[in-house]
Amino acid sequence: MPGEILLEFPDLFSRAFWYTVQLSLIGFGGALAIGTVIALFRVSPVAPLRWIGVAFVEFFRNTPLLVQLFFLFLGLGALGFRYFTTDTFESIFRAAALGMALYHGAYVAEVIRGGLLGIDRGQIEASRSLGLSYVQALRYVQLPQTFRATIPPLGNIGIALIKNTSLASTIGVAELLQAAEIVESRTFRTEEAFGAVILLYLVLTLPASAGVNWLERKMLIAR
Amino acid sequence: MNELFESIRALVCGISGIRCDTWHLFADPLILRFFGEGLLQTISLSLVSVFLSFAVGLLFALGRLSGRRWVRWPSIFYIETIRALPVLLLIVYFGIKGTALFRPIMQPFFGEDFELSRFWAGVLGLSLYTSAVLAEIIRAGIVALPKGQSEAAAALGLSYARAMGHVILPQALRLMVPAMMGQLTTVIKDTSLVGTIGVFELIRQARVIYTQNFNPLEALFFVAMIYFVVCFALSQASRRLELRAPTEVKVKIQEVQLRDQVA
Repeated sequence: MPGEILLEFPDLFSRAFWYTVQLSLIGFGGALAIGTVIALFRVSPVAPLRWIGVAFVEFFRNTPLLVQLFFLFLGLGALGFRYFTTDTFESIFRAAALGMALYHGAYVAEVIRGGLLGIDRGQIEASRSLGLSYVQALRYVQLPQTFRATIPPLGNIGIALIKNTSLASTIGVAELLQAAEIVESRTFRTEEAFGAVILLYLVLTLPASAGVNWLERKMLIAR
Repeated sequence: MNELFESIRALVCGISGIRCDTWHLFADPLILRFFGEGLLQTISLSLVSVFLSFAVGLLFALGRLSGRRWVRWPSIFYIETIRALPVLLLIVYFGIKGTALFRPIMQPFFGEDFELSRFWAGVLGLSLYTSAVLAEIIRAGIVALPKGQSEAAAALGLSYARAMGHVILPQALRLMVPAMMGQLTTVIKDTSLVGTIGVFELIRQARVIYTQNFNPLEALFFVAMIYFVVCFALSQASRRLELRAPTEVKVKIQEVQLRDQVA
């Protein structure tokens, strides 16, 4: 049973689970930050900033995350860049987190840009002429709509990110998939080891996707 | 002038550790051919997987829309479980470790020493995932059609199969063409994961090059550029075929494509 093997290697699995959670959270936080900045670049009136934004989004969306992770760890590692730490495992983890943030940041940027551009200028003008101050117009007219348009897609990116943390195992982060392979090579109980990890992934992703579905429905009604 | 350029280059490379001395490799016809073989593997992997997953995905989309519970529930279970798992896990588990599961089924047909080749193992893992994604996209297209279409087909006395084959699917699939091209871009990026189980596609070829020449930065950047050219062209093409679908379909497709955006 997958449950038994979880109890046999509690340290290994719990640490791996924690690594996956950490990588997802840090990666998602980074992706939101990077994505917001790039989205602002893309709608900025300054042309060079817009070009940087477009180049960033298209480059990171059209190359595989695996190549980016290898590049960030091995490629930059060849130049002697160690992510400001002497600990190899820590530097691998930081490279993986940066890769997650960059790759998903490109998707976040597109979603946020869509949310910013989705609102008709006329609405702001109308609310201004109705006597709302600029801040009030932002607070009561623009932001609620941007929020509604961006929250569910951002949730979907978050779910993709949780699943994509498994790629960090290829550069050596001891997250869930890596844990399955370690346990498998120790015990030769392939089905159990992978079954346990499949369960752990489902524990993370199923509630997340139920939550996003709920949000989606709620936002649809509110619209 | 040329000398000045050369000395600047030598200085920059000397300080930064960039391996300028290996750059000529990426113009060498033999090396390019080597990468070309990798690209061929990548493209054949993705095309085979997409065609296979389209067929399987169509079945599951119809299954999920079926009125019979014993068809609908397994389809929902398949689609939702597969979509909740990382594609790398599916490739590693079902592609490599899981071949033991298939051996008993395949041995009567292919002989005692049947082994799933690495290529087909990769196709299996990719198709498992992509079929679930395509099933959702196809379902969104079918649901989006006005109910009148299937009612009219039924009123004209068409059977379920004929109504689907002649009325519903031709219209639904036409709506889905851009989304499917977009999915092909994702699958091309996903094939990079199959390198980890030993298929010699682009990344694996790059690994061969950089372990021989110690230039991971250059080799990986070169490969990233190849991926970029292929995927960028495809995603632009799919954007050109502007989606004329209703908003609910667009929202659904955006959901599917963001959530299942892998590697």
